[in-house]
Amino acid sequence: MNATRYIRRYWQLYALLVLPVLYFAIFKYGPMYGVIIAFKDFNFFQGINGSEWIGFDAFREVFAMRDFYKTLRNTLMLNLLDLIVSFPAPLFIAIMLYELRTAWFRKLSQTILYIPHFISWVIIGGIAYQVFGTQSGMLNNVITSLGFDAVPFLTDKNYWLVTYLAIGVWQSAGWGTIIYLAALTGLNRELFEAAEVDGAGRMRRIWSITLPSLKPTIVTLLIINIGHMISIGFDRPYVIGNTTVREYSDVLSTFVYRVGLESGQYTLATVVGLFQAVVGLVFVLGSNYVSKKLADQSIL
Amino acid sequence: MVKKLNQHGMHKKTAGLLALTLASTALLSACGGNNNNNGGDTASATSGSSSAPSGKSVTLKVEVFDRGNAPDGMSITNNYLTKFVQDNFGTPNNIKLEFVPVPRSEEVNKLNVLMASGSDVPDIVFTYDSGTFFRYAQQGGLTDLSELLDQYGSNLKSFLGEDTLAYGVVEGTQYGIPAKRTHLGKYSSFIRTDWLDKLGLQVPKTTDELYDVLKAFKEKDPGGTGGKAIPLGMSIAPAQYEPLIWSFIQPTTEEQKYTLTQQLGSRDYPVLLPGFKDALQFMNKLYNEGLMSADFGLDEDKTKLGQDVSNGLVGFYSEDDMNPFYKDGTVDTLKANIPTAVLSSVDVYTNSEGKHAKPEYAPVGMYIMIPKASKHAAEAVKYLDWMASGDNLFRMQNGVEGENYNLVDGVPVTIADQPAEFSNRLYNQGDMAIISNGKSLGDADKNVEAYVKGMPEANQEETRKAMTISRTDTIAPIRFDVPVESQAKYGTTLLDKFEELLVKTTMAKPDQFETTYESMLKDYMASGGQAILDERKKLYADMQK
Repeated sequence: MNATRYIRRYWQLYALLVLPVLYFAIFKYGPMYGVIIAFKDFNFFQGINGSEWIGFDAFREVFAMRDFYKTLRNTLMLNLLDLIVSFPAPLFIAIMLYELRTAWFRKLSQTILYIPHFISWVIIGGIAYQVFGTQSGMLNNVITSLGFDAVPFLTDKNYWLVTYLAIGVWQSAGWGTIIYLAALTGLNRELFEAAEVDGAGRMRRIWSITLPSLKPTIVTLLIINIGHMISIGFDRPYVIGNTTVREYSDVLSTFVYRVGLESGQYTLATVVGLFQAVVGLVFVLGSNYVSKKLADQSIL
Repeated sequence: MVKKLNQHGMHKKTAGLLALTLASTALLSACGGNNNNNGGDTASATSGSSSAPSGKSVTLKVEVFDRGNAPDGMSITNNYLTKFVQDNFGTPNNIKLEFVPVPRSEEVNKLNVLMASGSDVPDIVFTYDSGTFFRYAQQGGLTDLSELLDQYGSNLKSFLGEDTLAYGVVEGTQYGIPAKRTHLGKYSSFIRTDWLDKLGLQVPKTTDELYDVLKAFKEKDPGGTGGKAIPLGMSIAPAQYEPLIWSFIQPTTEEQKYTLTQQLGSRDYPVLLPGFKDALQFMNKLYNEGLMSADFGLDEDKTKLGQDVSNGLVGFYSEDDMNPFYKDGTVDTLKANIPTAVLSSVDVYTNSEGKHAKPEYAPVGMYIMIPKASKHAAEAVKYLDWMASGDNLFRMQNGVEGENYNLVDGVPVTIADQPAEFSNRLYNQGDMAIISNGKSLGDADKNVEAYVKGMPEANQEETRKAMTISRTDTIAPIRFDVPVESQAKYGTTLLDKFEELLVKTTMAKPDQFETTYESMLKDYMASGGQAILDERKKLYADMQK
């Protein structure tokens, strides 16, 4: 096939590709130019070009900060706990929803489980304060009226971790089921009928049919999640966290916000961002490699 | 960092994240606008001071805080006061005023974006954050105002006075015009006198007596709250903890004051001054005996405290002096909820010398600046000078006589129940009359009286008392005439550390107080506290030479 014929035949596909490529070029690759701020003493009256080169000085400064290690530890800790607690939750829910036979009830449960995903973290923070507060929180009102001592859900760092994780599951688990349910729609129902004829119980069917067919999806999501190990959303720790538990709630994103925006040290903030990007890349490639070796599944 | 932002693009509902986005725009526009700037820099430096209106109309852009509270039919860029300044200053001088709104809650972040945009920046900008002002000045982003003030600003200079203007000097150059703060008092304390009466107790006069009263409030529950009483209302806003802490600080030498104080943001913190630990110890005792708001560590903007006071749960607390007394404010709501409630202004916390020591404001409000990129620096100074001359400031702050106010003994008394058409005129006067922070009538007592007369009649007496208390036995902030760089750098981080220190030591079990204090202070010092201490020691030594 010569070039003209090729272009004439497939030009529509390339035309379709133009917008996404532009999007990535403008919004993902273009801003990477700003990464050089990490190697400059950035002064925005001079602009990026006008600022002086400082080599790795800013990296040295960041790596000497105590708060950097504390926030790095917290980021990894919160993400790891989230991976253990929040990652399996949508899987369980998806399997349970899939087992439901009454269509309207399944749809209703699904919708109710999705809703928290659409609530802004700021509002969730306000609700958390009303529900989990020590002195006037709903939950503690019940606990104290039963004659027990109030539980410091938001002000003791260990209780706070539980609160943080629980709110995370509540907010995201329903939404996370979508991908699993989508994967399950492709599954042949006849497999289940055959298994049932062969005398397989419900648990056996889930274990031998549903789970294996979800394996590629699980692995893909796991790799993506591990790639995000080092980066953490800003809103959740910032909104759910507070001064009393800052020892755990202070993470890299809130650190970047404080140092970069509130103190105007853009260079240091960029260093942290670059560090996160590099480590994140290593994590993705590493977990992809491991999964390829062990489970013969990979996304790259 | 920019790349990371995109990953977070999914939830951008919080103000913080919005700010991140804005900042990334700043970075982008900084690189985009840079090329134009390099060429234009020299041009603007020469034309800045000399461009006189030569028949051609000039557009002067002025920043204005947008609080999103414009009354019907008005907007932040088109209202009574914008028309007033256009008619009285703009049109006669052939200048067109254009107001650039900046959301109040994001003033620093948005200002960074404006400053980074180069030629598009307003000609007059301002910020309450001295650190931001110093940073702009040191990075070479501001116009030197000394000559311009001599040339066009004689009224402005005499209005502000030397003391206030000195705050705008960075390394010997007048880079900023600080607004004049007219009422320097900050805090008063308030107590439920109806609770005291019920228990047959006197108003406490010292911190020790206060402790006994708080205990009685807790044990005897005079408000009948069913065990929900909060004897001492607390939050982690400065208005609640500063009066308590400063009353524990021991008498200090001049040298100690300069070297051991740490200025974080716009306030002085006594972290290293003798007596600070005793203050924490006292708070720890109150907390562990259940005499203080349990969740005070969560209450960053004192919302919860305000609710608790209005609901009649709080026995005693400290607050910004006139804050409880506004129409439909804390006190009015409290009285609506509990008609028998009486909240009185009192001065209780006492230091070792028997004084009711508490901090006061520096005599400055926000820092007004003219960016270097501005081509209309002369007009900008003229505008500020016009505001300071004649009765312009008075008319901007008080409106029209007979419609907005009546003059009684030289004090403008707000006319009660004036139609909205009149009262709406002044809805943003505080943000338009930028050269003065607070009502300006020439002397401190008159200023206070003007505030008192603006309150609902029933609250005027207590407002007057509170505003007298807030000016008694005050401690003025310490000022170096060079910026303390480590403070600009670590200030925000350390403010967080300070709050953590305060909350953690207060909430620790009494037997763990000592270890908590030690470890938190160590963390504080390592995160920049030591750097500030070293720099201030060096600056003090230089001052003595």
